[in-house]
Amino acid sequence: MASVTLSRITKVYHEHPVLDDISLEVAEGEFMILVGPSGCGKSTLLRMVAGLEEITDGEIRIGGQVVNHLPPRDREIAMVVQDYALYPHMTVAENMSFGLRLRRLPKDEIARRVDEAAGILQIQSLLGRTPRQLSGGQRQRVAIGRAIVRKPKVFLFDEPLSNLDAKLREEMRVEIAKLHQSLGATILYVTHDQVEAMTLGSRLAVMNGGLIQQAGAPAEVFSRPANHFVAGFIGSPTMNFIPGAAAGGGFQSPDLSFKLDGRNSVSGPVVLGVRPEGISVDKAAGEGWSEPVPAVIEVVELLGYKRNLYLKAGDQRLLAVADASFGGKPGDTVSMRFQLDGIHLFDKETKKRL
Amino acid sequence: MLSSLLQVAQFTALLAAAVALLELYLHVHFTLFEREWFLPGTVLAAGLLAAGAGRSLPLTLAAASVQLVAALVFKHVVRGRHSLPIMLLAPGFIGLAMLIAYPLFFEVYLAFHDLKLTTIMAWSRTGELPFAGFKHFAKVFTSSPLASVTFWELFGRTVWWTFINVSCHVAGGFVLALLLSKVQRFRGIYRTFLVIPWAMPQVVAILALRGEFHSQYGFVNIMLARMGLSPVEWLTLHPLLTCTLINVWLGIPFMMVVILGGLQSISQHYYDAAAIDGASAWQQLRHITVPLLRPVLGPAVTLGTVWTFNNINVIYLVTGQAGGTEDADILVSALYKAAFTFYRYSYSAALAIVIFLILFALSLLWLKFSKGSESVYG
Amino acid sequence: MAERARAKNVLLHAALVAACIVSVYPMLRMIAVSLRPGDRLLSTDLSLIPAGASLAAYGRVLAETNFLLWLWNSLVITTVTSFIGVSLAATAGYAFSRFRFPGSKLGLTLLLGTQMIPAGMLLLPLFLMIMRLGLVNTYLGMIVAYSVTSLPFSIWILKGYYDTIPRSLEEAALVDGTTRFGAFYRIVLPLSTPALSIAFLFNFTQAWNEYLVARVVLCDASKYTWTLGLFELQGQFLTQWGMFAAGSFLVTIPVLLLFLYSSKWLVSGLTLGGVKG
Repeated sequence: MASVTLSRITKVYHEHPVLDDISLEVAEGEFMILVGPSGCGKSTLLRMVAGLEEITDGEIRIGGQVVNHLPPRDREIAMVVQDYALYPHMTVAENMSFGLRLRRLPKDEIARRVDEAAGILQIQSLLGRTPRQLSGGQRQRVAIGRAIVRKPKVFLFDEPLSNLDAKLREEMRVEIAKLHQSLGATILYVTHDQVEAMTLGSRLAVMNGGLIQQAGAPAEVFSRPANHFVAGFIGSPTMNFIPGAAAGGGFQSPDLSFKLDGRNSVSGPVVLGVRPEGISVDKAAGEGWSEPVPAVIEVVELLGYKRNLYLKAGDQRLLAVADASFGGKPGDTVSMRFQLDGIHLFDKETKKRL
Repeated sequence: MLSSLLQVAQFTALLAAAVALLELYLHVHFTLFEREWFLPGTVLAAGLLAAGAGRSLPLTLAAASVQLVAALVFKHVVRGRHSLPIMLLAPGFIGLAMLIAYPLFFEVYLAFHDLKLTTIMAWSRTGELPFAGFKHFAKVFTSSPLASVTFWELFGRTVWWTFINVSCHVAGGFVLALLLSKVQRFRGIYRTFLVIPWAMPQVVAILALRGEFHSQYGFVNIMLARMGLSPVEWLTLHPLLTCTLINVWLGIPFMMVVILGGLQSISQHYYDAAAIDGASAWQQLRHITVPLLRPVLGPAVTLGTVWTFNNINVIYLVTGQAGGTEDADILVSALYKAAFTFYRYSYSAALAIVIFLILFALSLLWLKFSKGSESVYG
Repeated sequence: MAERARAKNVLLHAALVAACIVSVYPMLRMIAVSLRPGDRLLSTDLSLIPAGASLAAYGRVLAETNFLLWLWNSLVITTVTSFIGVSLAATAGYAFSRFRFPGSKLGLTLLLGTQMIPAGMLLLPLFLMIMRLGLVNTYLGMIVAYSVTSLPFSIWILKGYYDTIPRSLEEAALVDGTTRFGAFYRIVLPLSTPALSIAFLFNFTQAWNEYLVARVVLCDASKYTWTLGLFELQGQFLTQWGMFAAGSFLVTIPVLLLFLYSSKWLVSGLTLGGVKG
């Protein structure tokens, strides 16, 4: 196991900056997630750690050693990618042992490691097959197995679950989490799926436009998003944003206004963010909730255990979540309340958290 | 037989050694070019090597400066990033340079000098030839490459030959590919039989077909006789037509395979959509198949045209024997005969350059006016 | 409607059968001639199995001519050239497929450009080079003359095929511990067997069937390739037709088998590399 340190990493591609001054510290045994929309540079960053992409500027250290000019084979890393990249002309066992054979390990050691990894991933019965004969989930396991047998210092995952269907993806997510617990490995994991990011990571770094927007524990990033982008990207369904102004301990927009609690200091143009779970339409007045604001129901979606309510207050559209038992219909007017400690204020200009 | 095997083994070993040496040279340069002493060091080494071989000062300087240029190229142009591709390409491109580029330049040299049967012995001893200027180029247009046929007659025949052949290849290949794509049963068997003209060794196919055009015992005249028609003297009276018939037969399978590949790459969805829009079979062919085949057809036709223009085999094998006719010759076959039947070396070199320039000009025109070029170079 | 469809189908098959007959008939005729008994070589008989069919012509072509020597000569020259050609094309094609380097586009275009050079144009200087090197009448001279003939086309085919192999496989191999060349050698090459076979087929048939260069470089009958030998036989048209047909059929068999064997890759191999670009 080893730590990974990225300091002031810059990547310029065809004179077009892809990554700008990225610094990030991944501790030994940490499960670090790089999450962001496509094109944010997260995969490029991971490939730079792997040695598959040149570094324009900055320094990458693995276990304290600068690896900028080391080829991938000397970095003691293993990588699992979206299309698995299993060698089609080799059996599963050969795929898994390829790296070990290249390093000329003794035969019995290779066999022992392959057996061990196959046991962990429950693919013993597949060892003699070729990748063509495997299902997507099985290929995924083999790809992970190929990484495990190497006993690398760092595991790199590049969107490993994106090609699986929803059910398998959940299953493999749990597998990977278990794997991290049992191996205690340092993992860098790239994904665009914020659910994976929230559930898997011991820490996550939200990226956009070639910059790290926020790095921290999942709970912290969820409850205290550093800026407008992070707030909108993390959490599902997405946070509601209402542009307006804060003044005198209250919030005002053309469509609605209510009192804020304990944020008297903030004033000026802001964007107010509130998660759908932070809006209630059937709550009586109570401690920690704002005064009622009238809104009209546009659409109701039943999700089984709860309902999504699409509301409109004036011209402002909002999404709220209600119990499945909620009986309101489209066209009804309801009075909604905002959960006061679930309200995030962002500066209208800088988009930063206030 | 043993000695010739030995010779081959020797050659293979020499070739391997040459490639290994070259790769070693490149490898050393690529691994060391970042060191400060790389430039002076390699130049010094090359100079010492030449001097050590007991040669003159000019040679030493020349070796050192060649090495200096090479080293500078490595240090400033290559910059290490392109080392692997250059090493991968080196053997193939050196082969191409020696066996295609060098002969091309040599051909130009020959065209401006005088190499013929009377000067060849002296040339192979001394390597020197009398200068001839544009004499041979003038002769290309004023005298016949063979006995009596003129350059312009040959040119006309070449255009006719190329046009008829390529049109028939494409038309025949298209029809057969279309038929093949429409049938479900026996498709594999039909395809196998249909590619046989391409699969057969050309020499065998051409000579066999030449026999079938024999005035008395050939299949064609036997059939004509059975239908009550008078026999035709194919080989002596209509040699070009005979050659064309043979070459059409030979060339259709290639186009068929290429077009079949193109047809198979067109998604059925387009036809479904067109059928729903009410397009007839003919309209589907005209508005879907043909336009979508363009990217495949364009390059295939370009290549086919060049190959047909340059095709010597058919005409030479049908008419090339002693006493053969020159009524079927096109430019390239006349070129071959001028050089190797009539031993007019320098003259044929000039003729070759003229032919090449014509082909080059025609190709440029073709590329300019056809969109097919996009996929050739894309 | 079903009636019309059936009629259409019958027409389709009839047309294809007719085309097949045209394409196969000359070979059948060749076989028929080779089976004719010696005294009935010249006849206007069109039947495919002639009366009194015998294999005598095959015996004679093997016994009375240097047919086996010609085959051996062709085999040595062809095999060596094919191996040289395919190995040069395999590495060069990889460079064009995977790397962007100054001049890569120009190089590819120049390769296509070589197809424009009339064969007869290179032959004279090549012949003179071979002559000055003292390689006339040697295998070596033939191998030198043949080795790069199919190279441009082979490079295009292989480049096209390499383009379809995902780069992630090589990257996985790099991470697993290979060098860049190792990734090519251990991963890409084994996966390119179909395209390598096609390239080999092209190189092989090109050299195996070549006549014009051989005629210039070889003049000693003991070094003849089969193409030269058969042409000789065919020249004596009236007397040796049966032997010519028998020999032709014998040399056709291996090439035909090779061709048919690889024909399953032919359609995809060609559309991928040679033509689609």
